[in-house]
Amino acid sequence: MRKLSIAFCLFLAAASLPGCKKFLDVNHDPNNLTDASEDLILSPVEETITAQIDGGTGSICINYWMQNMANNQPTPSDVSYVVTNQYFDDSWGWTYTTVLNNLHTMNAEALSNGNPGYAAIAKILTAYSLGYATDVWGDVPYTQAFQGTNKLTPVYDPQESIYKTIQSLLDSAITEASAGTGKAPGSDDFFYAGDMAKWTKLAYSLKARYYMHLTKAPGYDATAQSNLALQALANGMTTYADDCSFAYAGSTTSSAKWYWNFYNQTTATLCSTYVDSLKSRNDPRIAQICNTAANTGLYTGITIGTTGNLFDFSTGGLFYCNTNSNGYVFSADEALFLKAEATFRVSGASAASPIYRTAITNNFLKLGIDTNSTAAQAYLTARGALTDANALQRIIEEKTTANWFSNENWVDWRRTGYPKLTVLPSSVGAAVSEIPRRFLYPQNELTSNPQSIQNAKITDRVWWDAQ
Amino acid sequence: MRKFSFGKLLLSCLFICLASWVQAQSLQKIKGRITDSTGAPIAGASIQLKGKSKTVSSAQDGSFSINAPLQGVLRITAIGFTPKEISIVSNTELSITLLVNDRSMDEVVVTALGVKREKRNLTFSSQEIKAADIVKAQEPNLLNTMSGKVAGVQIASTSGAPGASSSIIIRGMTSITGDNQALIVLDGVPINNDETDGGGDGGAGNNRLADIDPAIVENINVLKGAAATALYGSAGARGVVLITTKSGSRSSKPVFTLSSSVSEETPNYAPRQYKYSLGTGGLYATGTGSGVMSTSWGALMDTLYINGVKAHVIKPDREFFQTGVTNNNTISVSGGNPLSSYFISYSYYDQKGTTPYTSNDRHSLFTKFYNQITPKLSVTSELTYSNNLDHLQNQGYGTTNPIMQVYPAPVSYDMKDYLNPDGTQRMYRNSRDNPYWLLHNVGNVSKVNRFLPVVNVVYTPLSWLSLTERIGADIYFDRFNGHVNTGSVAYSTGKLWSNTENFAQYNHDFIAQARKQFGKYNVSFLVGNNILAQHSGYTNAIGTGLARSGYYNMASSSATTYTESDYDKRKIGFYSQAEIDYQRFLVFSLSGRYDGSSVLKKEWYPYGSAAMGFIFSELLDGGIRNIMSFGKARISYAVVGNDNVDAYRNQTAYVQSTTGNLVWPYNGQNGFLLNSEEGNPNLKNELQKEFEVGLETKFFNNRIGLEASYYQRRTSNGLVDGASLAASTGYSSTTLNSAKINTNGLEVLLSGTPIRTKDISWDIVVNYSIFSNVVKEVAPGLDATEIGETYALKGKPYGMFYGNKYARDAKGNILVSSSGLPDIATDNGYLGTITPNWTGGITNEFHYKQFSFSFLIDTKQGGEMNNTDERYDMYYGSSKFTANRNPIVVKGVVDDGSGKANTTPVAAQTYYQTISNVLEAYMQKTSYVKLRNLSFSYAMNKAELSKMPFKEAIFTVTGRNLWIHHDAGFTGSDPESTNSYGVAQGNTGLYAYAPPTSKSIGVSVKLTF
Repeated sequence: MRKLSIAFCLFLAAASLPGCKKFLDVNHDPNNLTDASEDLILSPVEETITAQIDGGTGSICINYWMQNMANNQPTPSDVSYVVTNQYFDDSWGWTYTTVLNNLHTMNAEALSNGNPGYAAIAKILTAYSLGYATDVWGDVPYTQAFQGTNKLTPVYDPQESIYKTIQSLLDSAITEASAGTGKAPGSDDFFYAGDMAKWTKLAYSLKARYYMHLTKAPGYDATAQSNLALQALANGMTTYADDCSFAYAGSTTSSAKWYWNFYNQTTATLCSTYVDSLKSRNDPRIAQICNTAANTGLYTGITIGTTGNLFDFSTGGLFYCNTNSNGYVFSADEALFLKAEATFRVSGASAASPIYRTAITNNFLKLGIDTNSTAAQAYLTARGALTDANALQRIIEEKTTANWFSNENWVDWRRTGYPKLTVLPSSVGAAVSEIPRRFLYPQNELTSNPQSIQNAKITDRVWWDAQ
Repeated sequence: MRKFSFGKLLLSCLFICLASWVQAQSLQKIKGRITDSTGAPIAGASIQLKGKSKTVSSAQDGSFSINAPLQGVLRITAIGFTPKEISIVSNTELSITLLVNDRSMDEVVVTALGVKREKRNLTFSSQEIKAADIVKAQEPNLLNTMSGKVAGVQIASTSGAPGASSSIIIRGMTSITGDNQALIVLDGVPINNDETDGGGDGGAGNNRLADIDPAIVENINVLKGAAATALYGSAGARGVVLITTKSGSRSSKPVFTLSSSVSEETPNYAPRQYKYSLGTGGLYATGTGSGVMSTSWGALMDTLYINGVKAHVIKPDREFFQTGVTNNNTISVSGGNPLSSYFISYSYYDQKGTTPYTSNDRHSLFTKFYNQITPKLSVTSELTYSNNLDHLQNQGYGTTNPIMQVYPAPVSYDMKDYLNPDGTQRMYRNSRDNPYWLLHNVGNVSKVNRFLPVVNVVYTPLSWLSLTERIGADIYFDRFNGHVNTGSVAYSTGKLWSNTENFAQYNHDFIAQARKQFGKYNVSFLVGNNILAQHSGYTNAIGTGLARSGYYNMASSSATTYTESDYDKRKIGFYSQAEIDYQRFLVFSLSGRYDGSSVLKKEWYPYGSAAMGFIFSELLDGGIRNIMSFGKARISYAVVGNDNVDAYRNQTAYVQSTTGNLVWPYNGQNGFLLNSEEGNPNLKNELQKEFEVGLETKFFNNRIGLEASYYQRRTSNGLVDGASLAASTGYSSTTLNSAKINTNGLEVLLSGTPIRTKDISWDIVVNYSIFSNVVKEVAPGLDATEIGETYALKGKPYGMFYGNKYARDAKGNILVSSSGLPDIATDNGYLGTITPNWTGGITNEFHYKQFSFSFLIDTKQGGEMNNTDERYDMYYGSSKFTANRNPIVVKGVVDDGSGKANTTPVAAQTYYQTISNVLEAYMQKTSYVKLRNLSFSYAMNKAELSKMPFKEAIFTVTGRNLWIHHDAGFTGSDPESTNSYGVAQGNTGLYAYAPPTSKSIGVSVKLTF
């Protein structure tokens, strides 16, 4: 009897084993997609670039250090250069895991599916985002990156080779953009709605930008770089209609990132350095790019190191910081000012002057300023012409105003020393005695991918930022 | 001489011998029935012919039949009863009554899978908590009733909110990021103890064990080591809490029990300064117009006059919190007859929290019916139903948490008047909501309906063989709604959350168990099968932009996003266990299990355990036996496989994109991005190997008992779900299969009865546990990974804090700059761990006639946490340390290399606002000693009861959490609550704006009819 019972149980067990396997076969995720087509990936990547690279914590830090932005909190703080490695985890994380990794996948998918249009866009945006990463962090991983657990500790590529990679990515993109075969982007492309001609202009303008970054890089010559830039700009952006930007609807679930950056909960305001320079120049754009303070009706920036009532100070203006403002990624303004600077370096101030003036008026038109108004004309009279003595300073100063709150402004300051800024004094809690020239490497990399170069300080210089 | 016939003598001898032999061999059938002192039958008792090997067992109705000679002795033994020997009487049906032996040695405990074993035969460490101790704790959350009592078990409640969740960790952490909570088993069926329903904007929720009414629990047995839990497989690898519910008694008239209790709770206030007003630089600010500011670095209140009137100190925390009230009422009836029994209990518990508008209400209904259908077949069916309603505020560091606005508030400004005449909020600072406005305009409600049916069928076809089929389910429906009204600083147009969870878990066990005595060997063998299937389904809706203030239905929102997800996880197991008991002093136990799990790639994995117990006291002679009445040594080695990882971790999917400012689909376009968690397609089980030795002794006729266990646990191939990767790999995390964690520990339980007389008794139980919990490896090439608030670092204790700290010289002195401020080190570093050094507890009980008095003191020493409240309190000037505003000379050396002691003073405001950015400044120690429970009770005696309709009446006064001693540097409310955001590993170590725990005093009465 006992033997029979045991035998029966074993038989039951054996008979049910194949059923067991099927019973356990439920580990398939019903909640998410196993693969996504290029159009589903492109849209959120574009918005992430707009919001997190051009409006994220990295951007805010840059604008604090460039004294465009401040906040109504006592120093010492990040405004006075007090930062930790953890502070930069957010920006690095968005750049690498959300933007670059998905672009890497989208590019591979587009190539294997025969969609060169998407491949071109993926390369252009990769060059752009990689450019941001290397300009703020110097040497960064690329050739060994994006392999997940197959390469847990990607090596950091030297900045010079990153720059070569950026130029070759843009060159490939320019070829692919004109191929005209395969699936073309449409409404999923929030930047250009699939207009490959505009993408090509963006690619050329980016080439010019990255040529000009190397004006003082070791082993590179400013004039040679300027010539390369002018060559590229011949096919680049020319008016604000070519701007690369993301349009926000302005609803509660789709508001511009710069609206949220100045939302009263963050206590962020404009800095007195920025507001005072606009006022002293009688810049007619002030109403579009600055708000008057809610309590006083005046344009007032916070002097770093002091605090007061939040509503006594100005925040970013309605052109860029309204719920339905566009988020700008790359503006034609920059392309025009690059042309002005490159022309100046090659041919002198008088050749550059008209290009410079056109750049300013392009920005007036973009902001809806009547170029024939008294204020606009007065401004152009005062500041619309270049001399050899003031050319570089004027070009960069105007570029900074037109290229509103762009990360590029910090590159220009490091490269040229303009606009002139005074480092914060230690009496307001400045952590270092010069304005920082790079970000710290993020804590996440120090913990999980330790490399010796990660002890770089914020006062160190990246490779192209030679003394 | 007559011839003596030797042959005749021989023949007659032979005949006599033959006769007696024949008589001896003539067997009779002896029948009998075995019952206990109440008349209830005892099944499975062992009846043995003394001196012979033949034994039979009694049937379900207690009857037995044995072939025995005309004379002899029967020895009857049964688990839980004193053995009895009776002489055989012919032709009589024997009626044998066994007496319960409740003196521990032969005590029966419920072990894995509901198998009852004698405590003396256990080959692993476990500890029991009885119903009386559960009731005495007067805690509504069943986990909290065990706090401080069980060696090696750490229980911590996340906050003082009503229904707040508690975590239970047994023998330290075995998983870096996965679930470290113990498995909860109710009457043999594993049940869900997830944490659900934190506030819409953050905070811990309830753990679902809160649905179980402590009044229905007969006892709790905590199984601690791998040897104890090997039969449970994976889920039990982290320790098992076995809950056994009450049953009806089989032979009694119905017994009604009514108990009622009410208690009041007052918050344990965190200390702060009440001396200085709103303002900065020592100057008073009004909090209106240009005097709007956030800091309390203002003027001394004692000498401050505002508009000619002396300033009046307002204590924001004391005015905000209220006295909480808890009511608990239970009525139950139990009874039965020899063939069936019943136990029915209904409780209503309701608690109003110390934070206004927070409460927790629970209705619990429990029914259990036992029926003996035939002498060989019995069925027990039970159903637990619980309805749990929770009202809570948002918690943690978030602007919709009212407590976050109360703690740093100034003492010179009255926030209770929270509206301006124009309807906008009135507040002393910008960018934050008024906490009283939040109380009236922000809230969360969760409703849970839970059903736990269990059906247990036992069939004993043969006296030595029993077959058990147990089917149980855990099904709950959870509905959560949260709202923030329009006009909030955080969400100016309002926000709504509406979530549901459907959870269903089905568990089936089929166990065949054989027990037989072979001579001096008592052998028990079981083989079984388990199937566990789990399904959870979630829906989440978020709405923004309310159509009208106060209208909180989702239809009100101008933009709604909705997501849904489903998860399935299944397991199958085949297991077997053999136990051999030699002459009741040597026990040998072997178990094996073969598991299949749906979440791993290598689905099937085997493991097992071997253990031995040696009751050496059985071999001691009389003299020593008077001193050592019981002594057992045990040793075990167990390997348990574990699948501690969530479903679907084997793939990298594309997930619908979410960013804070933009919701997809946008403009008719959907967006999907690669999950930042990389899937691991090669997941296999982790292994836990544990070696344990233990000693259990009793002295002086059980007046003193000492139990000690030493264990070494090694986790390998540890599954690390969400192990952080360098972002340059393209992913922020993945599931690793490579972690190694070592835990070595010692647990001691010392119990004594210094006094035991007819009228007086005094019992003490002391528990002590010390362990080291070290991460040996994370992954090859990866030395550290983020757990959440802390890090797992190779070679260091689990849960290391990492952040910035003071710069120090080689001797450890703080370096101070010329401004008098301490320097901050250029490199961040590791600063302390959450893992404590040791824990312990003392329980004392005095009885004098009808009076009894008891108290429980427990302690945890070592371990640290991040006190985020203190961080902001230092910045805002509300911290208790800022009560002294004299300039501060930082103790350290000047940083110019001279090594001279610092003498430069720095203004208090500058100092505290600077160091509030340094993690080292607000890390605090979590050591504590707590008077957790104090109670007095009076039981009416027979004389008093004879005048009343009750059979029993007990009145009790209980105080809980009456006194906490913490480290001098700790400035929060309660150092036990170090996981303000919930029990998940990532939250451990963070103390942030959670409702404070409370002191509680209450009275209760228990009547039995």
